[in-house]
Amino acid sequence: MTEARAETKFPSPFDVPTPEGAEGWEEMYPYYLLFDPEQRDAEENRFWFYNGMHFPEPMPAFDMITAESCYLSIGLYQGRVFQIPTVLGIEHRVVNGYVYITSNEVSDPAEIEKRLEVFLPRIGFYYENWGMLVGRWQAAVDEAIEQLAALEVPHLPAIEDEQELLHDHKLGSNFRLMTAYDRCIGLYNELNQLHFELLLLAYGAYLTFFQFCGQAFPDMGTQVMTQMVAGFDTTMFRPDDELKALAASALELGVDGSFADGRTPAEVLAELDASDEGRTWIKDLESRKHPWFFMSTGDGFYHHHRAWADDLRLPFTAITGYIAQIREGISLDRPKEKLLAERERIAAEYSQLLASPEERKAFDEMLGLCRHVFPHAEGHKFFIEHWGTSLFFNKMREIGAVMAENGFFEGADDVFYLNIHEVHEALSDLGLAWSGGAAARGTIYWPPRVKRRREILERLAQWTPPPALGVVPEVINDPTMQLLWGVTADRLRAWANQTEDDEGVRGYAASPGVAEGIARVVRDVNEIGTVQQGEVLVCPVTAPSWGPVFPKIAAAVSDIGGMMSHAAIVAREYGLPAVVGTGHATKLIKTGDRVRVDGDNGTVTIL
Amino acid sequence: MADARYAIPFHELRLDQVELVGGKCANLGELTQAGFPVPPGFAVTTAAYERADIDAAVAEAYAELGRRAGRADPPVAVRSSAIAEDMPDASFAGVQDTYLWICGLDAVLDGVRRCWASFYNPEAIAYREAHGISRGGMGVGVQYMVDARVAGVMFTLNPVSGDPSSIAIDASYGLGVSVVGGEVTPDSFLVSKVTRQIVRRQIGAKAIEVVADPGAARTVTRDVPEELRAQPSLTDEEIGRLAEIGRRVETHYARPQDIEWAIDRQLDELFVLQSRPETVWSRTARPQPVAGGPIAMITAAMTRSAATAKE
Repeated sequence: MTEARAETKFPSPFDVPTPEGAEGWEEMYPYYLLFDPEQRDAEENRFWFYNGMHFPEPMPAFDMITAESCYLSIGLYQGRVFQIPTVLGIEHRVVNGYVYITSNEVSDPAEIEKRLEVFLPRIGFYYENWGMLVGRWQAAVDEAIEQLAALEVPHLPAIEDEQELLHDHKLGSNFRLMTAYDRCIGLYNELNQLHFELLLLAYGAYLTFFQFCGQAFPDMGTQVMTQMVAGFDTTMFRPDDELKALAASALELGVDGSFADGRTPAEVLAELDASDEGRTWIKDLESRKHPWFFMSTGDGFYHHHRAWADDLRLPFTAITGYIAQIREGISLDRPKEKLLAERERIAAEYSQLLASPEERKAFDEMLGLCRHVFPHAEGHKFFIEHWGTSLFFNKMREIGAVMAENGFFEGADDVFYLNIHEVHEALSDLGLAWSGGAAARGTIYWPPRVKRRREILERLAQWTPPPALGVVPEVINDPTMQLLWGVTADRLRAWANQTEDDEGVRGYAASPGVAEGIARVVRDVNEIGTVQQGEVLVCPVTAPSWGPVFPKIAAAVSDIGGMMSHAAIVAREYGLPAVVGTGHATKLIKTGDRVRVDGDNGTVTIL
Repeated sequence: MADARYAIPFHELRLDQVELVGGKCANLGELTQAGFPVPPGFAVTTAAYERADIDAAVAEAYAELGRRAGRADPPVAVRSSAIAEDMPDASFAGVQDTYLWICGLDAVLDGVRRCWASFYNPEAIAYREAHGISRGGMGVGVQYMVDARVAGVMFTLNPVSGDPSSIAIDASYGLGVSVVGGEVTPDSFLVSKVTRQIVRRQIGAKAIEVVADPGAARTVTRDVPEELRAQPSLTDEEIGRLAEIGRRVETHYARPQDIEWAIDRQLDELFVLQSRPETVWSRTARPQPVAGGPIAMITAAMTRSAATAKE
C-alpha cells in the first residue's frame, strides 16, 4: 500500500474529440458551463465525474436548467447553509452534451473545525424539528406548484384588450410574456431550492446508517438496508395504486374488454365513450388523474419525458397489464402488514447479532432516525421531479407555442433547443418586434439553429462519454460523491486502467443478484406486451407503472436512473437484479442477445 | 468412578468433560445431547492415554457402536481429541491426526495408538509452543463414518469479512477431507442468517473426491465426472437445511462456530461431524460506533478523515 502510485489520469476535458457531425455543440450551452481554454491548467488538473445517474442522455439546451437549478441548490445548502465541514458545492460542465461534475472540497483542518461549529447546531435544528419542517416544506411546495399551474402565458394579440390595458391597467402582453417566462424559471428554481432543503439531510442519515451496516455486516446488501428503512405507503407508490384501482374499476364496470395490448389510448377511450359504463370509467379516470398523472415517464430531468396525463400510453398499458393480472386471480395489493412485520424481524435480528450494547444502541437509534426522515426522500420525488417539473416543462411548452405561432419555431417543443438565456433573448426579440411592428429576427435566426441542434443531439446520443475526465485526486473527501455515486479514488483508478474492450455495459447496481436471460429491448412502453417470461428487460427508463412486466422478467436494465429511481425501487420490491443508469444499454444490447445482469456490481455482459 | 472409564459413548458426554475426553469429543457429546444429528461414536478417554490395557474397553464400545449402526465392524473415523483442542482460543485444526474408514477392532486400536503418537509430532509440539499451551493429555474419538455424497465445512460467520450475519459453506463431493485438506476448489455459498437468502454462490472446480473403497477398508481418491464438476454440489434446499443447523449450533454455544458436516449418500441425511468455536474473528476487536447518538454519527460520516475514507 505504501508503494508510490503514478498519477492516474482520465482524458483531459480539452482532448475529448467531438463526434463527427456534432461540431458546434458548444453553442447550445452558456459559457460558464463549458471548459474554458484560458483556464486550461486549472480545469484539466481537476477531477470531473460523468453524472450518468441523473443525466444519462445528452442535454437539450434548455434542459440544462434541471442540472443548473439542482447544483445551485445543492451548493447553497451544503456549502452556505449547513456548512458541511469537508465540502462546499458541486460544479458542473458540459462535454459533448453530457454533464460532468466535480466537488469543491475543504481540506484545511482549521477551516473544517470552523465549519463544524456552524454545521452541528444547524443540522441539529433540522433533525430535531423534522416533522414540523416537513410540514413547512410541503406547504411551500404546494404553494409553488399552485403558482406554477396558475401562471398565465399571454398570446400576443394584434390589438391589446381595452379592458385589460385601459381599465385594469395591466402590463402589456409583451411584458407579461417575458414576466411569465422569468416567473416560470423562478418558480422552478424555488422548487429546486426546496428539493435539497431536507433531502441532503435525509440522505445523510440514510447513508450514515448504510455505512454503519456496511462496517458491522459487510455482506448485507443495500437491498436489505433499504428494506429495513423503507416505508410502504409513500407518495411514490400512489400513482401506481391509482392505476390498479382503475384496472379494478374497468373489470367491475365490465369494460375491461376495451383494453388490449397494441391498442392506442385514443382507440380505447373512443370505444369507452360509446357506452354508459365506459363513460363512467372515463369519469373515474378523470377524478383519479389529478395530481397523480403528473407522474413523469422519466426521472424528471428531461423535457421529452412527458407526464402520464400528456401521454396516456404508459398508464393505459399498465392498466391493461393489471387487468390481466386481476383476471388471473393475482392480488395487486401490496402486503403492507406482512412487509412491515418482516422489516421489524430483520432489523431486530441484525441488531441482536451485534456484539456490544453500544453497537446495538447505535444501530437502533440510527435506524429510528432513518425511518423518521427517509419517507421524505422517497416522497419528495413526486412533488419536485414529477408534478412540479412536468408543470414547468408544460408551461414552457405554452411559451414555446406562442413563439411558434409568431414564426420562431415549427412547434412548441422547439423552445427546448434554446438554452434558458437564449429563450430570454428570443422573447426580447419577439416582444420588440411585436411592439415595433417589425419582423422578428428570430424567425430567420432560430429555425435553422433548432434543426441543427436536433441533429447534433442525435449524434451525441450515439456517443459514449468517458466515466471521468482530468486527474484523479489522492483521496476524495466529499461524502456526497462517495456515498451517493460510490466514487472513491481507488475505484476511479480501476476505471482509468480499464481498456475499451472490457468496458461493456456499466451502470449503477440498483438491486442485487445475478441473472442471465434473453434480452428484450423495449424502447416504448407500448411494447411491454412483447416481453416473454424469463427475459431480461432492457429499456430507456422505467416507472412504477411498468410494474405489470416485473413478475415476468428475470432482470431489468435501464439507460436512465439511479439507486432511488423507479426501476431500482420496483426491482428491489420484486427482488430482481437491476442495473440502472447505463446510459446506452438500449443501444448496445439487441433483442435476442443473451446477457448476464450483475446487480451486485452494476455490470451487464453480452454473452 | 467415571474418570477411570477408558471408553465413553458420545451421548453420555458434555462440554465440561474436556479434561476427560479432550475438546473434540466433549463437543461431539455436547452436540449429541443437544439433539443435533451427530454420527454415533465414543471417546477413548485421557485416562486411557498411553495405557496398554485399553483393548477390552475399546472392544466393548466398538461392539456397542456396531449394534447401534446395525452392522459388525462398522467403518469409523479415528481422530485425536487433545485437551487443549477445539477450544475458543485455539483450534488445533489439522495439526493432529485423523484416520478414515477404519474397520475392525484391530484397526481401531491401531488408529487410537497412532493418534496418541501424533501428540508428539513436530507440528503439534510447535503449535502448542506457539500458543503457550502446556496442558497435555489426549483423548481419541471413534466416530461412525458417514458415507458422504457431499461434505465440507461451514462457518457461522463470513471467515473473509467477519460478517456475523453470514453463514459460509464450502462443499465438495465425497468425504470432507478433500475440502479440509485443500485438495479441491470447493463450491462456496454464503447464506444470510437473517433473510435466509443465498447471497453468494461460487461453483468450484471439484476435480477429485475422496470416497470409501467398499472392498478394502480404506478411502480412495478418484476423479469427479466432468458433468458433475460444473454443477453445484448442494441444492438450495440442502444449503438452507445446513444453514439452519449452523444457526442452531451457534445459538447453542452462543458463539460463532466452525462446523464439519456431511450428507449421507444413501440416507440423504445431514450430519454434523464436529463443531468448534471460530477462533479468528471472535477474538478480533470490532470497530465501535461513534458515541453520542445519531447526529454525532452523521457528523462523523460527513467529516471523516481522508485516511478512513480510503478504507
